[in-house]
Amino acid sequence: MARKAETRMTPLKLFSFTMVGLWLLIAAFPFLWTFWGSFKVQADFLSKADWMNAVRGTNTLEQTGSTFTGQGYYGAWVTEDFWFNFKNTSIVVFFTVVISLTFGTLGGYALARSGFRYAFWILMAALVFRAMPHITLVSGYLLWFFEWNVWGILPTTIIVLVAINQPFTLWMLHSFFKNIPKDMDESAMVDGCTRFQAFRHVIVPVMWPGVITTGLFSFLLAYNDFTVAVMLLSEENETIIPAINSFMGTTQVEGKVMYAVAAVVSATAPLFVLILFFQRQIVSGLTAGAVKG
Amino acid sequence: MAEIQLRNIGKRWGSFIGVDNFDLKIADKEFLVLLGPSGCGKTTTMRMIAGLEDASEGDILIDGLRVNEMEPKDRDVAMVFQSYALYPNMNVYENIRFPLKVRGVDPNIHDEKVRRASAMVELDDFLHRKPAELSGGQRQRVALARAIVREPNVFLMDEPLSNLDAKLRVSTRAQIKNLSHELAVTTIYVTHDQIEAMTLADRVVIMKQGVVQQVGSPVEIYDSPANAFVASFIGNPAMNLMDGDMSGGTFRAQHVDVPGLSAPDGKVTLGFRAEDANVVEIGGQINAPIYTMELLGDATMVSVRIGGALVSVKADKSYRAEIGEIVSINVAPEHFHLFDQKSGARIGN
Repeated sequence: MARKAETRMTPLKLFSFTMVGLWLLIAAFPFLWTFWGSFKVQADFLSKADWMNAVRGTNTLEQTGSTFTGQGYYGAWVTEDFWFNFKNTSIVVFFTVVISLTFGTLGGYALARSGFRYAFWILMAALVFRAMPHITLVSGYLLWFFEWNVWGILPTTIIVLVAINQPFTLWMLHSFFKNIPKDMDESAMVDGCTRFQAFRHVIVPVMWPGVITTGLFSFLLAYNDFTVAVMLLSEENETIIPAINSFMGTTQVEGKVMYAVAAVVSATAPLFVLILFFQRQIVSGLTAGAVKG
Repeated sequence: MAEIQLRNIGKRWGSFIGVDNFDLKIADKEFLVLLGPSGCGKTTTMRMIAGLEDASEGDILIDGLRVNEMEPKDRDVAMVFQSYALYPNMNVYENIRFPLKVRGVDPNIHDEKVRRASAMVELDDFLHRKPAELSGGQRQRVALARAIVREPNVFLMDEPLSNLDAKLRVSTRAQIKNLSHELAVTTIYVTHDQIEAMTLADRVVIMKQGVVQQVGSPVEIYDSPANAFVASFIGNPAMNLMDGDMSGGTFRAQHVDVPGLSAPDGKVTLGFRAEDANVVEIGGQINAPIYTMELLGDATMVSVRIGGALVSVKADKSYRAEIGEIVSINVAPEHFHLFDQKSGARIGN
């Protein structure tokens, strides 16, 4: 009986499913469209004559002899050395995440356990800095970066990205640490740990989902950053997002726009893998408050 | 083997006094209970001994050695927390083993020690489980096993039973008493439950607002409370206390007339315990209308109101009367306790 009731399609259920389906379609469409289009030539994907060309691939067939082509990918990765931008992004992302997580966990732990009132004001200041537009951290220092001769290189960008990201990691990890009862550290300290051992052996393992979640958000910030990278990096050190932007800017050469489309799809792929891989930790990270002493 | 000496220790946060001038010597193998209402400084005192809180003044000595500046890990104490504070990412076995591991005890004897400790608290069948898969009582026993596994000098227990249900509390209490006897280790036990204090302690320290009120064996504290606060805190029900006037050896209050007491004239508080009083036909020292009657099973609790206070007496279980009827209560003179009404200090019995 109960099973029957569960499977029966009520109008309300039908409506809900339709709404979810509709939302999914709207949300996923740009990705799917770009993914589909990345295997076409520019004349199809950006056709002025008939948008259905992008679906049918009329010009793609004419130009390449097949309805699907890897030209965009070949152009981006081989002709334009997109892998080089990818390497730069990897370096920037890796160091940004590692540095901000290191300071974030240590600082967040210290602030969460500190009984002093200044901890609150430090966090408030962090929130203000977080709300600041990213560009302020760049424009103010741009002159000095030139004078010190550190403009255009990756470490400068990493430092600026860490500065932008740090308040957020500090804030987020602080609230994760707050959820872990103080008794845990104290118990570990009575059991024979120093403060740091208690942190490493007892608190961090429990905190792991929180660290992963925060790390993921830091990753996304550094990975998707445009403002900082475009202002601070010279052409030979460009990361992927400015690179995609410069593909888009060169409309004079037929087909280059398709490099951008292919590059966008290439840049999205790792994100999917990453989120799927850490999915479980992210979910438990968001419910880390359920940790019981 | 450890004797603990607390020499006039105190704890202040700004102008707030957490613990004031606590001075006590705790003998080796003694079971000492710190008892008091919440916020009385009992847990702070224990945390100072553990090293989790710095003493603002005074010296803490363990076996004659001053430990004020020592880290908790160097004091060789083991502590059971009110929340148990188990490590959720480790199973029961690893939880119990943790102190051995971080202290660098020879790994070859870990297994033997963990199994001995877990057997003592009857956890053998749960060693592979994670704390989240255990009941409250089992978690509590893991915390106990983790404390006893490395045979520390001193046990500290911070309200270990307060998160358990009433039935489990009684059996775990018995287990703790048995364990402490078996292990013969100096134990300091913090509780707000006077029954736990009475049943477990060799000596009880009663605290109120950071100040020690009385130190003594459970019997001493029960039979001759040092002040009205202790009297009202110990016993179930607590001691009956009535405010009144003393003149010429006779205590008088509304409905009350107790002659034959030896105390100076003035405002006093008279106390007696419910089980020391009898309900009589006529001619008792207290004659008042019944306020309420409660059947306890083995007795009937009869209560009257004297001034603002409720005074309860245990009558025979077959005793029956109507609310509002006048009841006459008699107490043998030696069972009276007299306290100064202002200071609460004991002035005689």
